[in-house]
Amino acid sequence: MKKAIGDNMIPKEWGFEKGLELVKQAGFDGIELWLGDVPWFQMGTPDSEVWELRRKVENAGLVVSNVSTGLHWASPLSARDPKVRAQAVRIVEREIETAMLLGTDAILLVAGLVTPEVPYNEVYQRCLEALRPLGEKAARSGVRIGCENCNAEQRFLISPREFWQFLNDVNSPAVGIHLDVGNIHDTGFAEQWIEIHGPRITRIHVKDVMTKRGRCGDQSVYTNLFLGDNNWPAIRGAMTKVGYDGWLVAEMEARYRYAPDQQFYDTARAMDRLISGRF
Amino acid sequence: MGITRRRFLGYTAGVVTAGLRGLPLDPTSRRYVLLDLHERGCFRESVSGYESALTSAQAQWMRADGRWMSPSRCAVLIVPAALEIPPPVVRVIVSCLRAGAGVIFESGAGFATDREFRAHRVVLRDYLQVHIEEPVELWPENSSQRIPYVDYTWPRSAKVRDFSRVVPLRRQEGEGEVIAWVDGLPVALKRPGGRGNLIFLGSPLGPALWAGDAQARRWLLDCLRTAGAERA
Repeated sequence: MKKAIGDNMIPKEWGFEKGLELVKQAGFDGIELWLGDVPWFQMGTPDSEVWELRRKVENAGLVVSNVSTGLHWASPLSARDPKVRAQAVRIVEREIETAMLLGTDAILLVAGLVTPEVPYNEVYQRCLEALRPLGEKAARSGVRIGCENCNAEQRFLISPREFWQFLNDVNSPAVGIHLDVGNIHDTGFAEQWIEIHGPRITRIHVKDVMTKRGRCGDQSVYTNLFLGDNNWPAIRGAMTKVGYDGWLVAEMEARYRYAPDQQFYDTARAMDRLISGRF
Repeated sequence: MGITRRRFLGYTAGVVTAGLRGLPLDPTSRRYVLLDLHERGCFRESVSGYESALTSAQAQWMRADGRWMSPSRCAVLIVPAALEIPPPVVRVIVSCLRAGAGVIFESGAGFATDREFRAHRVVLRDYLQVHIEEPVELWPENSSQRIPYVDYTWPRSAKVRDFSRVVPLRRQEGEGEVIAWVDGLPVALKRPGGRGNLIFLGSPLGPALWAGDAQARRWLLDCLRTAGAERA
Protein backbone atom coordinates (compact mmCIF):
# COMPACT_ATOMS: atom_id res chain seq x y z
CA MET A 1 0.00 0.00 0.00
CA LYS A 2 1.18 3.52 -0.75
CA LYS A 3 0.34 6.74 0.95
CA ALA A 4 -0.51 10.14 -0.46
CA ILE A 5 -1.87 13.45 0.71
CA GLY A 6 -3.83 16.15 -1.06
CA ASP A 7 -2.16 19.25 -2.46
CA ASN A 8 -5.02 21.25 -0.97
CA MET A 9 -3.42 20.54 2.42
CA ILE A 10 -0.34 22.51 1.44
CA PRO A 11 -0.34 25.84 3.26
CA LYS A 12 -1.43 28.35 0.64
CA GLU A 13 1.56 30.65 1.16
CA TRP A 14 3.97 27.80 0.53
CA GLY A 15 3.30 27.22 -3.15
CA PHE A 16 3.37 23.95 -5.06
CA GLU A 17 7.10 23.22 -5.21
CA LYS A 18 7.80 23.90 -1.56
CA GLY A 19 4.72 21.86 -0.73
CA LEU A 20 6.01 18.92 -2.75
CA GLU A 21 9.29 19.03 -0.80
CA LEU A 22 7.31 18.85 2.43
CA VAL A 23 5.20 15.95 1.19
CA LYS A 24 8.30 14.03 0.21
CA GLN A 25 10.19 14.81 3.40
CA ALA A 26 7.21 13.75 5.49
CA GLY A 27 7.45 10.33 3.87
CA PHE A 28 4.58 10.20 1.41
CA ASP A 29 4.85 8.32 -1.87
CA GLY A 30 2.46 10.45 -3.83
CA ILE A 31 0.22 13.47 -4.00
CA GLU A 32 -3.45 13.86 -4.81
CA LEU A 33 -4.06 16.85 -7.08
CA TRP A 34 -7.27 18.80 -6.50
CA LEU A 35 -8.63 20.32 -9.69
CA GLY A 36 -10.08 23.74 -8.97
CA ASP A 37 -9.12 23.83 -5.31
CA VAL A 38 -5.56 25.12 -5.63
CA PRO A 39 -4.20 28.00 -7.72
CA TRP A 40 -1.80 25.81 -9.70
CA PHE A 41 -4.46 23.39 -10.99
CA GLN A 42 -7.59 24.99 -12.37
CA MET A 43 -10.07 24.14 -15.12
CA GLY A 44 -8.28 26.67 -17.31
CA THR A 45 -4.81 25.28 -16.66
CA PRO A 46 -3.55 24.28 -20.13
CA ASP A 47 -2.16 20.83 -20.89
CA SER A 48 1.37 22.20 -21.08
CA GLU A 49 1.14 23.45 -17.49
CA VAL A 50 -0.40 20.18 -16.34
CA TRP A 51 2.63 18.44 -17.83
CA GLU A 52 4.78 20.86 -15.89
CA LEU A 53 2.98 19.91 -12.68
CA ARG A 54 3.76 16.27 -13.40
CA ARG A 55 7.39 17.10 -14.02
CA LYS A 56 7.58 18.92 -10.68
CA VAL A 57 5.93 16.03 -8.86
CA GLU A 58 8.33 13.51 -10.36
CA ASN A 59 11.33 15.76 -9.73
CA ALA A 60 10.32 15.77 -6.08
CA GLY A 61 10.47 11.96 -6.07
CA LEU A 62 6.69 11.56 -5.95
CA VAL A 63 3.91 10.41 -8.25
CA VAL A 64 0.34 11.61 -8.65
CA SER A 65 -1.92 9.21 -6.78
CA ASN A 66 -5.16 10.51 -8.33
CA VAL A 67 -7.02 13.60 -9.46
CA SER A 68 -9.82 14.90 -7.26
CA THR A 69 -12.12 17.88 -7.31
CA GLY A 70 -14.52 19.75 -5.11
CA LEU A 71 -16.00 21.62 -8.05
CA HIS A 72 -19.03 19.37 -8.16
CA TRP A 73 -20.35 20.85 -4.94
CA ALA A 74 -21.17 24.01 -6.90
CA SER A 75 -21.80 22.30 -10.25
CA PRO A 76 -23.26 18.87 -9.54
CA LEU A 77 -24.06 16.23 -12.12
CA SER A 78 -27.51 16.17 -10.56
CA ALA A 79 -28.32 19.84 -11.23
CA ARG A 80 -31.63 20.57 -12.88
CA ASP A 81 -30.20 23.31 -15.03
CA PRO A 82 -28.81 21.62 -18.17
CA LYS A 83 -26.08 24.26 -18.42
CA VAL A 84 -24.82 23.47 -14.92
CA ARG A 85 -24.96 19.76 -15.72
CA ALA A 86 -22.95 20.30 -18.88
CA GLN A 87 -20.32 22.10 -16.82
CA ALA A 88 -20.30 19.22 -14.32
CA VAL A 89 -19.69 16.75 -17.14
CA ARG A 90 -16.92 18.96 -18.48
CA ILE A 91 -15.26 18.92 -15.06
CA VAL A 92 -15.22 15.10 -15.06
CA GLU A 93 -13.89 15.04 -18.59
CA ARG A 94 -11.10 17.43 -17.61
CA GLU A 95 -10.29 15.24 -14.63
CA ILE A 96 -9.97 12.27 -16.98
CA GLU A 97 -7.81 14.22 -19.41
CA THR A 98 -5.52 15.53 -16.71
CA ALA A 99 -5.30 12.12 -15.03
CA MET A 100 -3.88 10.80 -18.29
CA LEU A 101 -1.44 13.70 -18.52
CA LEU A 102 -0.39 13.23 -14.91
CA GLY A 103 0.14 9.51 -15.25
CA THR A 104 -2.52 8.32 -12.85
CA ASP A 105 -5.51 6.04 -13.38
CA ALA A 106 -8.07 7.34 -10.91
CA ILE A 107 -10.25 10.37 -10.43
CA LEU A 108 -12.66 11.35 -7.69
CA LEU A 109 -16.01 12.98 -8.04
CA VAL A 110 -18.93 13.81 -5.82
CA ALA A 111 -21.66 12.14 -7.82
CA GLY A 112 -24.79 13.99 -6.84
CA LEU A 113 -26.28 16.31 -4.35
CA VAL A 114 -29.70 15.82 -2.77
CA THR A 115 -31.16 19.11 -1.56
CA PRO A 116 -34.55 20.36 -0.43
CA GLU A 117 -34.91 21.57 -4.01
CA VAL A 118 -33.61 18.60 -5.99
CA PRO A 119 -35.06 15.34 -4.64
CA TYR A 120 -33.39 11.98 -4.29
CA ASN A 121 -35.06 10.18 -7.21
CA GLU A 122 -34.08 12.88 -9.65
CA VAL A 123 -30.51 12.92 -8.36
CA TYR A 124 -30.24 9.16 -8.68
CA GLN A 125 -31.54 9.09 -12.25
CA ARG A 126 -29.50 12.07 -13.37
CA CYS A 127 -26.29 10.65 -11.93
CA LEU A 128 -26.87 7.34 -13.68
CA GLU A 129 -27.46 9.04 -16.99
CA ALA A 130 -24.34 11.17 -16.60
CA LEU A 131 -22.06 8.41 -15.36
CA ARG A 132 -22.84 5.81 -18.00
CA PRO A 133 -21.25 7.75 -20.89
CA LEU A 134 -18.55 9.13 -18.61
CA GLY A 135 -17.72 5.57 -17.59
CA GLU A 136 -17.26 4.66 -21.24
CA LYS A 137 -15.00 7.64 -21.76
CA ALA A 138 -13.01 6.78 -18.65
CA ALA A 139 -12.64 3.16 -19.76
CA ARG A 140 -11.32 4.26 -23.14
CA SER A 141 -8.82 6.47 -21.34
CA GLY A 142 -7.68 3.79 -18.92
CA VAL A 143 -8.98 5.76 -15.95
CA ARG A 144 -11.39 4.74 -13.20
CA ILE A 145 -13.95 7.12 -11.79
CA GLY A 146 -14.32 6.88 -8.03
CA CYS A 147 -17.59 8.31 -6.73
CA GLU A 148 -16.88 9.49 -3.22
CA ASN A 149 -19.18 8.58 -0.36
CA CYS A 150 -19.91 12.00 1.07
CA ASN A 151 -22.79 10.53 3.00
CA ALA A 152 -24.02 13.38 5.14
CA GLU A 153 -23.08 16.26 2.94
CA GLN A 154 -24.59 14.71 -0.20
CA ARG A 155 -27.62 13.10 1.55
CA PHE A 156 -27.18 10.55 -1.21
CA LEU A 157 -26.22 6.86 -1.22
CA ILE A 158 -26.12 6.80 2.53
CA SER A 159 -25.70 3.07 3.05
CA PRO A 160 -23.18 0.68 1.50
CA ARG A 161 -25.88 -1.52 -0.06
CA GLU A 162 -27.47 1.53 -1.64
CA PHE A 163 -24.11 2.57 -3.06
CA TRP A 164 -23.59 -0.97 -4.32
CA GLN A 165 -26.94 -0.91 -6.10
CA PHE A 166 -26.08 2.45 -7.63
CA LEU A 167 -22.82 1.09 -9.04
CA ASN A 168 -24.69 -1.94 -10.35
CA ASP A 169 -27.09 0.40 -12.12
CA VAL A 170 -24.24 2.41 -13.62
CA ASN A 171 -22.86 -0.93 -14.72
CA SER A 172 -19.41 0.17 -15.81
CA PRO A 173 -16.17 -1.43 -14.66
CA ALA A 174 -14.62 2.03 -14.94
CA VAL A 175 -16.93 3.48 -12.29
CA GLY A 176 -16.33 2.53 -8.67
CA ILE A 177 -16.16 4.08 -5.24
CA HIS A 178 -13.55 6.41 -3.82
CA LEU A 179 -14.16 5.36 -0.26
CA ASP A 180 -13.70 7.89 2.52
CA VAL A 181 -13.51 6.09 5.84
CA GLY A 182 -14.13 9.32 7.73
CA ASN A 183 -17.36 10.24 5.97
CA ILE A 184 -19.44 7.37 7.26
CA HIS A 185 -19.67 8.86 10.73
CA ASP A 186 -22.52 7.31 12.72
CA THR A 187 -24.44 5.95 9.73
CA GLY A 188 -22.37 2.77 9.61
CA PHE A 189 -18.91 1.28 9.86
CA ALA A 190 -16.08 1.90 7.43
CA GLU A 191 -14.82 -1.66 7.60
CA GLN A 192 -18.20 -2.93 6.37
CA TRP A 193 -18.14 -0.53 3.43
CA ILE A 194 -14.67 -1.82 2.50
CA GLU A 195 -15.83 -5.41 2.69
CA ILE A 196 -18.92 -4.79 0.58
CA HIS A 197 -17.21 -2.79 -2.15
CA GLY A 198 -13.85 -4.58 -2.29
CA PRO A 199 -12.61 -4.53 -5.88
CA ARG A 200 -14.76 -1.55 -6.75
CA ILE A 201 -12.70 0.69 -4.46
CA THR A 202 -10.57 3.01 -6.57
CA ARG A 203 -8.83 4.88 -3.73
CA ILE A 204 -9.30 5.26 0.02
CA HIS A 205 -9.40 8.61 1.77
CA VAL A 206 -8.33 8.43 5.38
CA LYS A 207 -9.27 10.68 8.26
CA ASP A 208 -10.80 10.04 11.63
CA VAL A 209 -14.23 11.01 12.81
CA MET A 210 -15.81 11.86 16.13
CA THR A 211 -19.12 10.06 16.01
CA LYS A 212 -20.25 11.43 19.36
CA ARG A 213 -20.07 14.95 18.03
CA GLY A 214 -23.37 15.69 16.33
CA ARG A 215 -23.31 16.96 12.80
CA CYS A 216 -25.70 19.77 13.62
CA GLY A 217 -23.26 21.69 15.77
CA ASP A 218 -20.74 24.20 14.53
CA GLN A 219 -17.75 22.02 15.39
CA SER A 220 -16.21 19.74 12.80
CA VAL A 221 -16.72 16.02 13.26
CA TYR A 222 -13.43 15.24 11.54
CA THR A 223 -10.03 14.86 13.12
CA ASN A 224 -6.59 13.37 12.55
CA LEU A 225 -5.96 9.63 12.39
CA PHE A 226 -6.33 7.71 15.67
CA LEU A 227 -7.92 10.66 17.48
CA GLY A 228 -11.50 9.77 16.64
CA ASP A 229 -13.87 6.81 16.76
CA ASN A 230 -13.00 4.86 13.62
CA ASN A 231 -12.09 1.25 14.40
CA TRP A 232 -8.72 1.33 12.67
CA PRO A 233 -7.71 -2.30 13.36
CA ALA A 234 -11.03 -3.40 11.82
CA ILE A 235 -10.51 -1.07 8.86
CA ARG A 236 -7.03 -2.46 8.31
CA GLY A 237 -8.39 -6.00 8.63
CA ALA A 238 -11.07 -5.30 6.01
CA MET A 239 -8.47 -3.96 3.60
CA THR A 240 -6.52 -7.19 4.00
CA LYS A 241 -9.64 -9.30 3.63
CA VAL A 242 -10.62 -7.70 0.30
CA GLY A 243 -7.01 -7.50 -0.89
CA TYR A 244 -6.90 -3.73 -1.12
CA ASP A 245 -3.32 -2.78 -1.83
CA GLY A 246 -3.81 0.60 -3.47
CA TRP A 247 -3.39 4.18 -2.41
CA LEU A 248 -4.36 5.53 0.97
CA VAL A 249 -4.87 9.25 0.61
CA ALA A 250 -4.89 11.52 3.65
CA GLU A 251 -7.74 14.00 3.51
CA MET A 252 -8.20 15.92 6.69
CA GLU A 253 -8.83 19.44 7.78
CA ALA A 254 -5.76 21.59 8.34
CA ARG A 255 -6.27 22.23 12.03
CA TYR A 256 -2.75 22.78 13.33
CA ARG A 257 -2.71 26.27 14.73
CA TYR A 258 1.09 26.35 14.78
CA ALA A 259 3.65 24.54 12.66
CA PRO A 260 1.19 23.41 9.99
CA ASP A 261 3.84 21.25 8.34
CA GLN A 262 3.85 19.06 11.46
CA GLN A 263 0.45 17.67 10.41
CA PHE A 264 2.11 16.16 7.32
CA TYR A 265 4.73 14.36 9.42
CA ASP A 266 2.23 13.17 12.02
CA THR A 267 -0.17 11.96 9.36
CA ALA A 268 2.51 10.08 7.45
CA ARG A 269 3.65 8.30 10.64
CA ALA A 270 0.08 7.39 11.55
CA MET A 271 -0.50 6.03 8.06
CA ASP A 272 2.66 3.93 8.37
CA ARG A 273 1.22 2.42 11.54
CA LEU A 274 -2.09 1.79 9.78
CA ILE A 275 -0.41 0.11 6.82
CA SER A 276 1.80 -2.03 9.03
CA GLY A 277 -1.12 -2.87 11.30
CA ARG A 278 0.76 -1.94 14.49
CA PHE A 279 -1.85 -0.50 16.81
CA MET B 1 -73.89 -9.52 -20.09
CA GLY B 2 -76.92 -7.49 -21.04
CA ILE B 3 -76.87 -4.47 -23.28
CA THR B 4 -79.48 -1.79 -23.61
CA ARG B 5 -80.98 -0.79 -26.91
CA ARG B 6 -79.65 2.72 -26.49
CA ARG B 7 -76.11 1.51 -25.86
CA PHE B 8 -76.32 -0.87 -28.82
CA LEU B 9 -77.40 1.96 -31.12
CA GLY B 10 -74.63 4.11 -29.71
CA TYR B 11 -72.03 1.50 -30.54
CA THR B 12 -73.30 0.91 -34.06
CA ALA B 13 -73.53 4.62 -34.79
CA GLY B 14 -69.98 4.98 -33.50
CA VAL B 15 -68.71 2.23 -35.73
CA VAL B 16 -70.36 3.78 -38.75
CA THR B 17 -68.97 7.23 -37.93
CA ALA B 18 -65.52 5.86 -37.29
CA GLY B 19 -65.62 3.98 -40.54
CA LEU B 20 -66.55 7.11 -42.43
CA ARG B 21 -63.66 9.01 -40.93
CA GLY B 22 -61.25 6.15 -41.37
CA LEU B 23 -60.40 6.17 -37.69
CA PRO B 24 -61.56 4.16 -34.71
CA LEU B 25 -64.18 5.84 -32.58
CA ASP B 26 -62.42 5.46 -29.29
CA PRO B 27 -60.10 8.44 -29.01
CA THR B 28 -57.69 6.49 -26.86
CA SER B 29 -57.00 4.25 -29.82
CA ARG B 30 -55.67 7.20 -31.77
CA ARG B 31 -52.06 7.80 -31.31
CA TYR B 32 -50.53 10.05 -28.77
CA VAL B 33 -47.72 11.87 -30.45
CA LEU B 34 -44.59 12.92 -28.61
CA LEU B 35 -42.94 15.72 -30.49
CA ASP B 36 -39.23 15.53 -29.85
CA LEU B 37 -37.61 18.90 -30.39
CA HIS B 38 -34.11 17.46 -29.88
CA GLU B 39 -31.67 20.31 -29.30
CA ARG B 40 -34.51 22.84 -29.46
CA GLY B 41 -35.94 21.36 -26.30
CA CYS B 42 -34.49 22.03 -22.94
CA PHE B 43 -34.48 18.78 -20.97
CA ARG B 44 -33.89 15.37 -22.50
CA GLU B 45 -35.16 13.88 -19.26
CA SER B 46 -38.54 15.44 -19.93
CA VAL B 47 -38.82 13.58 -23.23
CA SER B 48 -37.71 10.40 -21.43
CA GLY B 49 -40.32 11.02 -18.74
CA TYR B 50 -43.22 11.21 -21.20
CA GLU B 51 -41.88 8.22 -23.12
CA SER B 52 -41.68 6.18 -19.98
CA ALA B 53 -45.16 7.20 -18.78
CA LEU B 54 -46.77 6.45 -22.15
CA THR B 55 -45.01 3.12 -22.47
CA SER B 56 -45.84 1.96 -18.98
CA ALA B 57 -49.49 2.91 -19.56
CA GLN B 58 -49.41 0.78 -22.73
CA ALA B 59 -50.73 3.73 -24.69
CA GLN B 60 -50.55 3.82 -28.46
CA TRP B 61 -48.00 6.49 -29.06
CA MET B 62 -45.33 7.52 -31.47
CA ARG B 63 -42.37 9.85 -31.42
CA ALA B 64 -42.22 12.50 -34.08
CA ASP B 65 -40.10 15.48 -34.97
CA GLY B 66 -40.98 18.93 -36.29
CA ARG B 67 -41.51 17.61 -39.83
CA TRP B 68 -44.31 15.31 -38.80
CA MET B 69 -47.73 16.32 -40.13
CA SER B 70 -50.65 13.93 -39.66
CA PRO B 71 -52.89 15.81 -37.26
CA SER B 72 -55.97 13.77 -38.08
CA ARG B 73 -54.26 10.70 -36.61
CA CYS B 74 -53.40 12.46 -33.40
CA ALA B 75 -55.42 12.26 -30.20
CA VAL B 76 -53.02 14.34 -28.12
CA LEU B 77 -49.80 16.00 -29.15
CA ILE B 78 -47.20 16.35 -26.39
CA VAL B 79 -44.46 18.93 -26.80
CA PRO B 80 -41.99 18.39 -23.93
CA ALA B 81 -39.63 21.02 -22.54
CA ALA B 82 -40.01 23.34 -25.49
CA LEU B 83 -37.56 26.17 -25.71
CA GLU B 84 -37.04 27.24 -29.30
CA ILE B 85 -40.28 26.82 -31.27
CA PRO B 86 -39.50 26.94 -34.99
CA PRO B 87 -42.24 27.60 -37.59
CA PRO B 88 -42.71 23.91 -38.57
CA VAL B 89 -43.41 23.06 -34.94
CA VAL B 90 -45.88 25.93 -34.65
CA ARG B 91 -47.60 24.59 -37.76
CA VAL B 92 -47.83 21.10 -36.27
CA ILE B 93 -49.32 22.44 -33.04
CA VAL B 94 -51.84 24.67 -34.78
CA SER B 95 -52.84 21.91 -37.23
CA CYS B 96 -53.42 19.46 -34.41
CA LEU B 97 -55.60 21.95 -32.56
CA ARG B 98 -57.57 22.69 -35.71
CA ALA B 99 -58.05 18.98 -36.28
CA GLY B 100 -59.47 18.68 -32.79
CA ALA B 101 -56.54 17.12 -30.96
CA GLY B 102 -55.40 18.00 -27.48
CA VAL B 103 -51.99 19.61 -27.25
CA ILE B 104 -49.89 19.49 -24.09
CA PHE B 105 -47.26 22.16 -24.45
CA GLU B 106 -44.60 22.04 -21.75
CA SER B 107 -42.46 25.15 -21.57
CA GLY B 108 -38.77 24.67 -20.92
CA ALA B 109 -38.16 28.39 -20.81
CA GLY B 110 -37.55 28.51 -17.08
CA PHE B 111 -33.88 27.90 -17.75
CA ALA B 112 -33.70 29.97 -20.92
CA THR B 113 -31.38 32.89 -21.55
CA ASP B 114 -33.06 36.29 -21.89
CA ARG B 115 -32.87 36.14 -25.67
CA GLU B 116 -34.29 32.61 -25.82
CA PHE B 117 -37.08 33.55 -23.46
CA ARG B 118 -38.10 36.61 -25.46
CA ALA B 119 -38.38 34.55 -28.64
CA HIS B 120 -40.32 31.84 -26.77
CA ARG B 121 -42.76 34.38 -25.38
CA VAL B 122 -43.43 35.97 -28.76
CA VAL B 123 -44.26 32.63 -30.39
CA LEU B 124 -46.61 31.66 -27.56
CA ARG B 125 -48.34 35.04 -27.70
CA ASP B 126 -48.66 35.34 -31.48
CA TYR B 127 -49.50 31.79 -32.44
CA LEU B 128 -51.05 30.16 -29.40
CA GLN B 129 -52.43 33.24 -27.63
CA VAL B 130 -50.78 32.24 -24.37
CA HIS B 131 -49.34 35.16 -22.42
CA ILE B 132 -46.51 34.43 -20.02
CA GLU B 133 -44.38 36.28 -17.51
CA GLU B 134 -40.63 36.06 -17.10
CA PRO B 135 -39.35 32.91 -15.37
CA VAL B 136 -39.47 32.88 -11.59
CA GLU B 137 -36.82 31.21 -9.44
CA LEU B 138 -38.70 29.25 -6.77
CA TRP B 139 -35.64 28.40 -4.73
CA PRO B 140 -33.64 31.51 -3.95
CA GLU B 141 -30.82 31.11 -1.43
CA ASN B 142 -31.85 29.79 2.00
CA SER B 143 -35.41 29.03 0.99
CA SER B 144 -35.37 25.43 2.13
CA GLN B 145 -38.62 25.81 4.09
CA ARG B 146 -40.96 26.27 1.14
CA ILE B 147 -43.44 23.63 0.02
CA PRO B 148 -41.93 22.15 -3.12
CA TYR B 149 -45.11 21.25 -4.99
CA VAL B 150 -47.14 22.45 -7.91
CA ASP B 151 -50.85 21.98 -7.19
CA TYR B 152 -52.85 20.84 -10.19
CA THR B 153 -56.61 21.20 -10.08
CA TRP B 154 -57.58 19.70 -13.46
CA PRO B 155 -58.26 17.03 -14.71
CA ARG B 156 -57.59 15.71 -11.23
CA SER B 157 -55.96 17.26 -8.24
CA ALA B 158 -52.32 16.35 -7.93
CA LYS B 159 -49.21 17.54 -6.16
CA VAL B 160 -46.13 17.31 -8.33
CA ARG B 161 -42.63 18.46 -7.47
CA ASP B 162 -41.75 21.85 -8.86
CA PHE B 163 -38.74 22.09 -11.12
CA SER B 164 -36.98 25.04 -9.50
CA ARG B 165 -38.09 27.62 -12.04
CA VAL B 166 -41.49 28.29 -13.52
CA VAL B 167 -42.89 30.36 -16.34
CA PRO B 168 -46.00 31.93 -14.80
CA LEU B 169 -49.01 32.93 -16.79
CA ARG B 170 -49.99 36.49 -17.36
CA ARG B 171 -53.70 37.39 -17.31
CA GLN B 172 -55.10 35.77 -20.43
CA GLU B 173 -57.40 37.29 -22.95
CA GLY B 174 -60.42 35.19 -23.95
CA GLU B 175 -61.27 31.75 -22.70
CA GLY B 176 -59.02 29.71 -20.51
CA GLU B 177 -58.80 28.10 -17.11
CA VAL B 178 -55.81 28.09 -14.82
CA ILE B 179 -55.24 24.49 -13.79
CA ALA B 180 -52.13 24.64 -11.61
CA TRP B 181 -50.57 26.93 -9.04
CA VAL B 182 -47.30 27.15 -7.20
CA ASP B 183 -46.50 29.71 -4.52
CA GLY B 184 -49.60 31.62 -5.57
CA LEU B 185 -48.47 31.79 -9.20
CA PRO B 186 -50.66 30.45 -12.01
CA VAL B 187 -48.45 28.04 -13.95
CA ALA B 188 -50.70 25.90 -16.13
CA LEU B 189 -53.60 26.69 -18.39
CA LYS B 190 -56.29 24.85 -20.30
CA ARG B 191 -57.95 26.65 -23.14
CA PRO B 192 -59.84 25.78 -26.28
CA GLY B 193 -57.86 26.12 -29.46
CA GLY B 194 -59.31 25.36 -32.88
CA ARG B 195 -61.48 22.30 -32.32
CA GLY B 196 -59.15 20.96 -29.70
CA ASN B 197 -57.69 21.93 -26.35
CA LEU B 198 -54.37 23.47 -25.50
CA ILE B 199 -52.81 22.58 -22.16
CA PHE B 200 -49.92 24.89 -21.35
CA LEU B 201 -47.52 23.78 -18.61
CA GLY B 202 -45.26 26.50 -17.23
CA SER B 203 -43.66 24.09 -14.79
CA PRO B 204 -42.11 21.02 -16.44
CA LEU B 205 -43.92 17.80 -15.64
CA GLY B 206 -41.63 15.52 -17.67
CA PRO B 207 -38.79 15.37 -15.14
CA ALA B 208 -41.23 14.24 -12.43
CA LEU B 209 -42.49 11.51 -14.77
CA TRP B 210 -38.90 10.55 -15.47
CA ALA B 211 -38.14 10.40 -11.75
CA GLY B 212 -41.07 8.01 -11.28
CA ASP B 213 -43.63 10.27 -9.57
CA ALA B 214 -46.80 8.14 -9.56
CA GLN B 215 -49.09 11.10 -9.02
CA ALA B 216 -47.57 12.93 -11.99
CA ARG B 217 -48.19 9.84 -14.11
CA ARG B 218 -51.80 9.58 -13.03
CA TRP B 219 -52.28 13.26 -13.77
CA LEU B 220 -50.82 12.85 -17.25
CA LEU B 221 -52.93 9.82 -18.07
CA ASP B 222 -56.10 11.59 -16.97
CA CYS B 223 -55.04 14.59 -18.95
CA LEU B 224 -54.47 12.47 -22.05
CA ARG B 225 -57.85 10.81 -21.68
CA THR B 226 -59.66 14.05 -21.06
CA ALA B 227 -57.86 16.25 -23.57
CA GLY B 228 -58.25 13.60 -26.23
CA ALA B 229 -61.90 12.99 -25.42
CA GLU B 230 -62.91 16.64 -25.28
CA ARG B 231 -62.58 16.97 -29.01
CA ALA B 232 -65.15 19.09 -30.71
